Amino acid sequence: MNIEKKKKATIPLSQRERKRYILLEVLNADIAEKDFYFGFWIELLSFFGSKGLAEINPRIVAYKENKAIIKCRRGKETDLIAGTAFITKIRNKKIIINPVISSGTIRTIKEVAKVFTGKAKDGLPEEKKAPETKESPKK
Amino acid sequence: MDIVYAQPLKELLQVSTYFKEKTLLLVSGDIQYQKAKQSDMNPCLVLSEKDDLNNTKGKMTAVVGGSIKSNEFAVKIKADFLLQPSNTKQFFDLGLAQKLTDNNTTVVLMFEELLEANSFERHAIWKNFIEIVAYCKKKKTRFIVASGCKDPLHLRPRKVRESLAVMLGLEQNLAQKYLEDLDNLK
Repeated sequence: MNIEKKKKATIPLSQRERKRYILLEVLNADIAEKDFYFGFWIELLSFFGSKGLAEINPRIVAYKENKAIIKCRRGKETDLIAGTAFITKIRNKKIIINPVISSGTIRTIKEVAKVFTGKAKDGLPEEKKAPETKESPKK
Repeated sequence: MDIVYAQPLKELLQVSTYFKEKTLLLVSGDIQYQKAKQSDMNPCLVLSEKDDLNNTKGKMTAVVGGSIKSNEFAVKIKADFLLQPSNTKQFFDLGLAQKLTDNNTTVVLMFEELLEANSFERHAIWKNFIEIVAYCKKKKTRFIVASGCKDPLHLRPRKVRESLAVMLGLEQNLAQKYLEDLDNLK
């Protein structure tokens, strides 16, 4: 029996589900990425339940230096922000989660957060920054 | 403006200035009231039926609800705030909402109590507050969500409190307006 591999049809941009990005800031303690994932899911799941969480459809897009970008369904961002109020402790460390900004594009969030852009202080990206060379003393 | 209980003022100021938010400190007794005033905080007297009501002139007052008697007491003394009017049992109705509107009293959900409740109690409190918000919307009573904490690290940002009020059924612009109204109180 021959199995034909069919290419998955891509959903047109206009028919895709609309989403929102939220930048969250973790205050008072340094939390590792894994711990944040765990604490975030547990608390939201206990408050919203499986159905509620499926409707919000949150996804942690990025986490760096106590800042997280969360993706969720459009129109449900207020629910997600309200849900973060219940996160008070992660790994027995008292924390406060502060929603900084919500936006329709990840670009705006990255511009505000700055830690995700990977730009060095002088404006050049970290990877492309020229290494320092030792100058030979002029004779 | 956020409403919190008396606590270490130094830490409270640190957190509240980070959130760029003023705090209304709930105090019981004149000594605590004067102390809070000296350290440039906005104090608010928490009153109960046993307290002397003669010294409350010109001071902000709040009543902790949670029973028919205490809710009626808040109406009687025309308190500025009625904190937590119901808990796992419902003590709030349309008549009370109308009276509170007439007295210009704000109904406050203390988030800390919701946080401390176990999962069995939490859903009952949440359900009661959905009803309270519906009554408040009908009678145009002011309703806000406050941190109501005794620990500065349990302070919640304004955006979060606003979204909690929206989740309970208040409209976004009303939730914003009621919080701004509180900022203008002196």
